[in-house]
Amino acid sequence: MTQRFLIGQIRWLPLVLAFISVTGTFAQDEKQIAPVGRIYALTNVTVVPSPGKKIEKATVVIKDGLIQAVGTAVSIPTDAIIMKADSMYVYAGFIDGLSRTGVIKPKDEPNPQRPKDPGNPPADKAGITPQNDVRNSLNPTDKSVEELRNIGFTLAQVVPYGHFLPGTSAIVLLGGKSADEMVLVDQSGLYSELSGAQNVYPNTVMAVMAKWRELYRNASLTKSYQALYASNRSALTRPLNDRVEEAFYPVIDRKIPVVFKAEKILETQRVLTLKNDLGFSLTIGDLKEGYPMIDKVKTSGAKIFLSLDLPDEVKKNEKKSKNKNDSLKTAKTEKPKSAAELEKQGLEKRKNDAIVKYTGQAADFHKAGIVFGFSAMSAKTKDIQSNLRRMIAAGLPEEVALAALTTNPAKMLGLEDRLGTVENGKMANLVVSDKPYFNEKAKVRYVFVDGNLYKLDIKEPKKSNGSVVAKGNWSYTTETPNGTNNGKLTINDDNGTLSGTISNSTSGKGTEMKDVALDGNTLSFSFEYSMGGNTMKIDVSVKIDGDAFEGVMTPGKFGSFPMKGTRDPK
Amino acid sequence: MKNLKLIAACLFLYGVAQAQDKGNLLIKNGTVLTVTKGTLPETDVLVKDGKITQIAKNITAPQGVKTIDAKGLFVMPGIIDAHSHIALDAINEMTSPVTAEVAEADVVNPFQINIYRALGGGVTTIHSLHGSANAIGGQCVVLKLRYGTFDMNAMKMEGVPRTIKFALGENPTRVHGGGSNIVPRTRMGVEFVIRKSFSDAKKYMEEWDAYNKNKLVKGFRGASPVYNLRLETLAEILKGNIIIHCHSYRADEIFMLLKVCKDFGIKKITFQHANEGYKVAPELAAYGAMASVFSDWWAYKFEVYYSTAYNAAILTKNGVVTSINSDDAEMMRHLYHEAGKTQKYGGLSDEEALALITINPAKQLGVESRIGSLEVGKDADIAIFKNHPLSIYGVPQYTIVDGIVRFDRANDPADMRLMVDPKQNLEEATLSEKGVDRCMEGTEFLFTNDKN
Amino acid sequence: MKKLQLVYGMITALLCALVFHLEAQIPKAKTGTFALTHATIETVTKGTITDGTVVISHGKITDVGTNVQLPAGADVIDCKGLFIYPGMIDGGTNLGMSEIGSDPRTQDFNEIGDVIPQMSALTAVNPNAVAIPITRVSGITTVLASPQGDLYSGTAALINLHGYTPEQMYAGFQGVTLNFPNTGRRGFWDRRTDEEIKKAADNAMKRMSEVWDRAVQYQKIDSATKGKAGYYPEMQALLPVVKGERPLLIEANAAKDIQSALKWIKEKKIKNVILTGVSEGWRVADEIAKAKIPVITGGVLELPTREYDRYDQAYANAGQMFKAGVKVAIRSGETNNQNYRNLPYHAGFAVAYGMDKTEALKAITIVPAEIFGVADKIGSIETGKVANLFVCDGDPFETKTQIKQVFIDGWQIPLVSRQTQLYDEFLKREPGVSKK
Repeated sequence: MTQRFLIGQIRWLPLVLAFISVTGTFAQDEKQIAPVGRIYALTNVTVVPSPGKKIEKATVVIKDGLIQAVGTAVSIPTDAIIMKADSMYVYAGFIDGLSRTGVIKPKDEPNPQRPKDPGNPPADKAGITPQNDVRNSLNPTDKSVEELRNIGFTLAQVVPYGHFLPGTSAIVLLGGKSADEMVLVDQSGLYSELSGAQNVYPNTVMAVMAKWRELYRNASLTKSYQALYASNRSALTRPLNDRVEEAFYPVIDRKIPVVFKAEKILETQRVLTLKNDLGFSLTIGDLKEGYPMIDKVKTSGAKIFLSLDLPDEVKKNEKKSKNKNDSLKTAKTEKPKSAAELEKQGLEKRKNDAIVKYTGQAADFHKAGIVFGFSAMSAKTKDIQSNLRRMIAAGLPEEVALAALTTNPAKMLGLEDRLGTVENGKMANLVVSDKPYFNEKAKVRYVFVDGNLYKLDIKEPKKSNGSVVAKGNWSYTTETPNGTNNGKLTINDDNGTLSGTISNSTSGKGTEMKDVALDGNTLSFSFEYSMGGNTMKIDVSVKIDGDAFEGVMTPGKFGSFPMKGTRDPK
Repeated sequence: MKNLKLIAACLFLYGVAQAQDKGNLLIKNGTVLTVTKGTLPETDVLVKDGKITQIAKNITAPQGVKTIDAKGLFVMPGIIDAHSHIALDAINEMTSPVTAEVAEADVVNPFQINIYRALGGGVTTIHSLHGSANAIGGQCVVLKLRYGTFDMNAMKMEGVPRTIKFALGENPTRVHGGGSNIVPRTRMGVEFVIRKSFSDAKKYMEEWDAYNKNKLVKGFRGASPVYNLRLETLAEILKGNIIIHCHSYRADEIFMLLKVCKDFGIKKITFQHANEGYKVAPELAAYGAMASVFSDWWAYKFEVYYSTAYNAAILTKNGVVTSINSDDAEMMRHLYHEAGKTQKYGGLSDEEALALITINPAKQLGVESRIGSLEVGKDADIAIFKNHPLSIYGVPQYTIVDGIVRFDRANDPADMRLMVDPKQNLEEATLSEKGVDRCMEGTEFLFTNDKN
Repeated sequence: MKKLQLVYGMITALLCALVFHLEAQIPKAKTGTFALTHATIETVTKGTITDGTVVISHGKITDVGTNVQLPAGADVIDCKGLFIYPGMIDGGTNLGMSEIGSDPRTQDFNEIGDVIPQMSALTAVNPNAVAIPITRVSGITTVLASPQGDLYSGTAALINLHGYTPEQMYAGFQGVTLNFPNTGRRGFWDRRTDEEIKKAADNAMKRMSEVWDRAVQYQKIDSATKGKAGYYPEMQALLPVVKGERPLLIEANAAKDIQSALKWIKEKKIKNVILTGVSEGWRVADEIAKAKIPVITGGVLELPTREYDRYDQAYANAGQMFKAGVKVAIRSGETNNQNYRNLPYHAGFAVAYGMDKTEALKAITIVPAEIFGVADKIGSIETGKVANLFVCDGDPFETKTQIKQVFIDGWQIPLVSRQTQLYDEFLKREPGVSKK
């Protein structure tokens, strides 16, 4: 019985997809800012030229990609585009110390074959590709570039995807039309992760570390032999060229650091072990759990980028209301807590303590006198601003937070002559927010990268008067395995009784909805779709927020597909 | 609430312990089981800066030194487990039959709760080994159970000889022959892989020796041999600088490796498990090889079908330095009980039985001058028991490492985790598994068609 | 003294070797009439008798006490300075159904299928399994041979560890085993999503209930048709369970699973139930006690189930459940290495970590006998009971203690197993290093 039903369903799948997909494509509208000229004047702004400083009612003039003037008595060039930025705040553009912003992720091999001798895999299978240059995989139109820029970041040190030794990093501007245009500094570091290959050597961390040492020492030997050979080639065997080994040469010469991602405390200690064994200069990025070993991290002299990712906060509202109930209860009954409740309470406390530790890491590092920057690698971009506020609330002074976003990373990356402050002659990487950046309600309005303006559309928060209106005409889109498609909804409201039709844009034919209901802001209905004498029921459930909705369309047991919609203008 | 306070107190205590990791202590009036120098009733043990400085009656506590009243209790050397896989983040680099270059010292994890649990069983020192997937596995690490430290390096016992894991029989043949279709698939192959590795290492050593010698000649110009960390490590075995600890079960394979060692002039070897060690006990004794065995495990695979719980007793009575190990996070908590079983199976004396988990494993790790007995000058690694440790009713009360109390049964709150995952899902409880053979951890995917 | 021991040992070895030679493998057991005299008798149910005698005649204990008439022709064994205990019972093993842990060809406890209560352990037990003599020479005379697997995994059987056919070994109890669906993650390696786990558990719960409901239905038809409901082997195997004649042995370990098992038992009004495993029983001990469901727990020598549990929690579990009023039997759970001989040590650890010593002894003798409904036959030393007992020179929980005599079903068992034979052969191997 079950079996037959399943087969029946599989037969159905193409039909369903045929309904919910359409041939027309849904063009992504891209924000194109046509630069009329490259001269801008931001007037009547509060400038924060460097952390802890402030110039009020100032003007900033930008020309040819540089900051031309900053101050209260600045003459504005006649050909400048004047941007009245009254009561706004100008900061140096933020710098992300380690991420993969704008880096294309290579596609997974569809059916990876285990090599015949897993102990001796080809170098690329083993993750040994230090000669790989991240510039080869940069995409300026990647969504991540715009997203990170939209919260004020203008520069990032980016690294290739992969594990162990994926390649060299580059410092890139978060804007530009080509990979080359983005790159400010190439080969800024040799990137590495202490993670092994799948099922081939080196698979475990200990093998990765052993191989690391061996590669480094062999590179040193080859390098000195090459130098010997270069000095006098007579009667010497020609040294072989090995691009893997050559990638280590600038590290051995201490011209560039090894950039390690190390989130956890043990990873960090292992990276420090390698540094101590081999003596390279070290940058640690995306550190999340360095707080138990602050002293060791400090004495190592490594450059540190702390992660902008934080574990989720325990929701305050939830806790409060719970506490309220608890206190009410205890007040009434004075019932002692059961062992299970006590245990749960203890576990919650310890988890919360851990969250507090993570959140307070930046403050602790500052107190210990460590100069650090931030990295966005594993952080969700949408959380970064609130995470910074959480760190500040946990004791990180605002000007230190700002320094960690601007002056510190500029210095750590050797760019302090060009970036990190709002000063004459520096590169015009700026962020302009409508309120002080760390204010909860602050929104970034403009970002300048290399003197180019990126203007942000600010959606005013929708006023919700509490009443949700489902009635009306809506346009929807759904995402299915066959692509994006769209159509129309019409909802009628007959004194609280809802009804409606749904159509898709290919057929245009309307289908009657069933069980239309509005519960709070959740609109749900179902409809039947027939083809070739078969009928399939499709359920829809979306949440309405003013003139938009979001939710899912569920055709039988084929899974759920995201569905979005907006109200048609009247 | 009381519990929470205790946790806080404990963590604080450990914080202090971390900063100053050698303690002072006076243990009063215990029955002192020295293991090497007899049993001393109503005797005191004085500890200064982490070392035992005096064992006598009526010692007065120096000023400010904490005293433990051990009246009616048994004071013994901290238990040493010669075969463990706890406190490690990786166990098997199973991609190659020879992985001498990898080192467990790189992947120590000081946060594992099993460390604390082992302290609760009187264990103070462990030998955490590479797994048994490879004929020549990785280098192992000797750890002192300084639970409370966040520093992985602080767990390592200082100044100990290096050790390396070898493995014979089913495990390497299943992983490489069976799993990857490369040599070894048989015990013949295992012998060949080991002999070839030693021969390569010998050649490598000679090449480097020659190069280093030539380099001293003025005006020498030439390339060095290629640096190979694997051969480098194997060469250290040949030089006698690394002790072999070999996973083995059958008598024939044990005898095989003895011969290989003899041929390459290797003297330092301890056979791990050696379930059939009893069959070649005279040969082991004659060679000076040692054995670290289970008390009674058998039947879990064909290789151990012809085991006997009398193994430790037969080996001991034939003059083989023998220890009892756990290879298991649970069993390591009651090695004193496992040692006690040799009194049932073979009638070993109290001292012989206690030696199996103290001085003998210390010898196998080359640290017998530091730990393994209660003697003046040795590290103050001490376990204090209620009831005799060889009695089923023996319960560790205090476990002391370098003179610092790391376990105190009377002040033992439930939640002793050092690190807590801030993303932990509290609604879900993952129960720990039973009887997982960690020796073969990481190799399971090769045997997915197998029932076991 | 030592020398004397050695000489004694050599004589024993010699004798054994002789017996070995004569008797091929394990020497034969002997039956008849025996009188064990001058012993300290731990009856378990009727206190301790000092300087007492136990008379065994043709399988039964025929007399126990201080003032006992020795039957004529009885084989008198002087037990001065020794102790007599009832044979120990391990209430959860796969003894006789598995020879080598990693070799599927030697394993007969795990049949295919999730609803296979008709799979009978009793007939799959190999009376000549190597582990049987190894277990019984340690004083374990009786074990539950139990199938393992999915859901309704088969019918377990209680067997005595001596005999050459299932009939000879059968100790009078069978019960259907059920693995209660696990609601949690199976371990750190379990990569299923929370949803998948919940779904799998829900499906298993549904299946378990459906099968039970069908069995109840079957029982109605069966009684209406006077046993002519037809050949439905699964249902027929569940029939005595539905009737309450045979218990359902439900394996549940996580606190949450134990709770849902208790709820399910109540909902389905299942009359005869035994909970097994129960490693987190201490968390819900009051609820188990309230439900009045007996428990076979173990092994005791396990790690705590959760990282944040107290380090000795697994050792303390049995004692804590007992204190809460649960009827507790202890099993060894040493399945993978066939080390059921460690049963007294599991009980001993429960004592070291808080359980009353008398109760721990009961938990491996009379309590499992009661749980299995065979307390009239085994589990204590009483006149009229089956002669399952052992003689030892001290506290049987102590590792120093040596077993001196074992009787199963009145048969005097030779204290020989492959492990003792290997000892005898190799303690002083001939030839030694050199073969001259």
